[in-house]
Amino acid sequence: MGLLERSDAYWKFTGQCTQCGHCTKACDSLIAADMTLGDIAQALLAAERESETVDQLRMNIAANGQLVQAVRGCFFCTSCKNTCFAHNDVCDLIYNARVDFQKLGLIPREAWSSVLVDEEWDIFTAYRAIHGIGYSDLTRHVATEEAPAQTGFDVAFFPGCSLAAYGPELTREIFATVEELGGKATMIDHCCGSSLKSAGFFDRAETLCDNNSREIEQSGAKQLVCVCPGCANDMKKALERTGVDVEVVSLAAFLNEHGFTPKRELPDTPLCISKSCQDRDGTYLEQTCELLGVDEQTPTIFHGCCGAGGAVSAFDPDRQAAQADSKLSFAEDGSTVVTMCPTCTYTYAFRMMSAPRNLQNKHYTELLFESQFDWSTVFYQLNSMWYGEYGAWLAQVFA
Amino acid sequence: MNEQQQAAVAIIGYGTAGVNAAIALRRFGYAGVIRVFSDTNTLPYSPILTSYYAGGQKTYDECFPWSAEELAELDLEVVQDCPVTSLDVAGHALHTPKGDFAYSKCVIATGATPMCYGFPQVEGGSYEPLVLRSMDDAERLKGVLEDDSCKRVLVSGASMVALKTLEACLNRGKQVTLVGMNPHVLDFNALPQAAERFERGLLGYGVELRLGQTIAAVERVAREGADAADGGRDWQLKVTFSGGDVDYFDEISVSHGMKCNLDFVEPGTLEIDRALVVDEFMCTSDPDVYAAGDVAQATELISGQKRIVGIWKNAALQGECAGRAIACELAGAEPTAEGAFKGSISMNTIAVKDTLFISAGTMEVTPERRVEVRETDDMTVLYIFEPLPEGGERLVGFNLVCDHDEEGSRAYDTGAMLTLRIEAACR
Repeated sequence: MGLLERSDAYWKFTGQCTQCGHCTKACDSLIAADMTLGDIAQALLAAERESETVDQLRMNIAANGQLVQAVRGCFFCTSCKNTCFAHNDVCDLIYNARVDFQKLGLIPREAWSSVLVDEEWDIFTAYRAIHGIGYSDLTRHVATEEAPAQTGFDVAFFPGCSLAAYGPELTREIFATVEELGGKATMIDHCCGSSLKSAGFFDRAETLCDNNSREIEQSGAKQLVCVCPGCANDMKKALERTGVDVEVVSLAAFLNEHGFTPKRELPDTPLCISKSCQDRDGTYLEQTCELLGVDEQTPTIFHGCCGAGGAVSAFDPDRQAAQADSKLSFAEDGSTVVTMCPTCTYTYAFRMMSAPRNLQNKHYTELLFESQFDWSTVFYQLNSMWYGEYGAWLAQVFA
Repeated sequence: MNEQQQAAVAIIGYGTAGVNAAIALRRFGYAGVIRVFSDTNTLPYSPILTSYYAGGQKTYDECFPWSAEELAELDLEVVQDCPVTSLDVAGHALHTPKGDFAYSKCVIATGATPMCYGFPQVEGGSYEPLVLRSMDDAERLKGVLEDDSCKRVLVSGASMVALKTLEACLNRGKQVTLVGMNPHVLDFNALPQAAERFERGLLGYGVELRLGQTIAAVERVAREGADAADGGRDWQLKVTFSGGDVDYFDEISVSHGMKCNLDFVEPGTLEIDRALVVDEFMCTSDPDVYAAGDVAQATELISGQKRIVGIWKNAALQGECAGRAIACELAGAEPTAEGAFKGSISMNTIAVKDTLFISAGTMEVTPERRVEVRETDDMTVLYIFEPLPEGGERLVGFNLVCDHDEEGSRAYDTGAMLTLRIEAACR
């Protein structure tokens, strides 16, 4: 192994890249960096070649502004991969680059200190603790002071961080439906680790998912229902990696399979579906459209990252805002933007708070269940928790 | 270690497959001599970029994906301008104009050559039609396209290579006629409804289409009104088409398919069907000879048969697989399943100016298969479904044509999405 831990991955990518340049035109970050994906791999190898020590390597990479832009400005949206005439795996490249950046100290701590979701406190658990949002009554496979741990569940529900933290009533309503339709249920209210991967802690993200897998196995659940496509993808991989025989299904597929009857009418505004960038083969989109009763071809569908991916906001907040604007611009005035991942819903809501548009912004579950996100309250609470009695504690924990 | 084990690993061919074999050999720990035989004296180039170079969209240097520094790091012994003339499988030796070389393991990665099958003998003087594969081919095409006296180009063939040549001509402001023996462009890669939309795009760029025709005769004739004093060419090509029409062109480009570069393999020494038949580690019928890229016939996932899937990514992955397997074997270990070639499907993406075509999977419409067409204002998508024995059906192929080639657009997202679905259904 050389100075770069992941140089094998860069060599592999370097071998596969045609240097045709199509990927660059598909991504604002690559345009800003004026690099192809192959250039990224080659620049990392060149930096390694020109360095004799880790310190030199760090300085060489840090001095290459284009390279830093390309690696840290990536949303992991795979738009470049979709455009790649050779179908090369860009996520593999950038994830590995982030790992090396992290090892070399090229990602400042303030970019990730609040999203170490495998530690006791992260922004989601802190928010939930401060605002009294808990699910100990639903995480029934875990013993509490009031009740022993249970086993023999039919289904485990995985809401993901954003839904669990910012939509507690919606989470509970969905959980109740999952149990009603799928049998005895428990809740896994942990994270899939995507923020760890963005920060370059790839191994920790995998370990977190593997721990989730083992917890699910212990619960006895035969099926894991995930709300977010990204969580579902990561948990599928983890269950396979750990040899745990549990089927992962999206909430949409689960509800379709069980003949769920929506609890409200669809809005009469045009629907504009924001396809999750984690939904690469469109399976979740298809399931969501079926659940909503809309023809996949009829509503406007736009793809690509909402702006939340890859922790770009910690590197370039303006670019995150620009990405959200770019995506929202696809939605017809007066329409309802329907998201598949609650983090996308959060991101659009955050953007529309400072740049209002004549759009409704809804996670697809909000079109089916009674409970709704209350973003005004969420953003107020997120902001206010840094002040008052918990402010000093948060500042210390996330310093 | 015996004498044979000490001999170099030989890589015949210095293209994508060869380079990836070398990278994998080093990545997986082989520290011995890697001797690469190249029939040129340049760094490895990207055949995909040759048309961009000819059309003025890439510089010469940009056609070489790997820098000299990167390749130097692989510590290769490159024998340049040295085509292998014969392979002695039993004797573990390569014969070349520069002498004989022993090998312990050998990777054949010699690629393919464009063919001019059916192009008639030119009467009235000598003329070699343009082809496009190597940088030399691209140089010649570029020279022709930069020549202002060349105004009309006939592109014969309707494959990917022909269409990229056509695009290079359009980018240089030439008048282009395309002649193809099939009723539609995108031979074997597109169903008629998709091809027709693509053809509408070509017509919009002023391309004259002569489909369902061939070139019956070509004659080099004096150009009427030619003025030698202004440096213009004093000849042109009189072309008679199979339907009897006659027209005049300044140049002809021919892309009538590809032929594997395997002339140096003695018949009967290795199993050859359309190309070298290989196992999941790219090993041929001889345990010390591997093949990768356009010369290899490996598993195609939809049919389950061994077929040539001549695309860049396959060449890269197969080269990597061969290099990794050889490194394992030379270290005394068995290659692992993790390093096996997982099989592939055909996939193509091509844009001619603003008209985009993406396809993947099979285009064979058997009686059991069902074709579904979805059209919007700017996009046509054809899906080919195959029934499954257990009920339901799987996607086995698609064509997508979009009137706007915008990187990162929904068309590309859809193309990637459908490609993934086909791959997933096959695995």
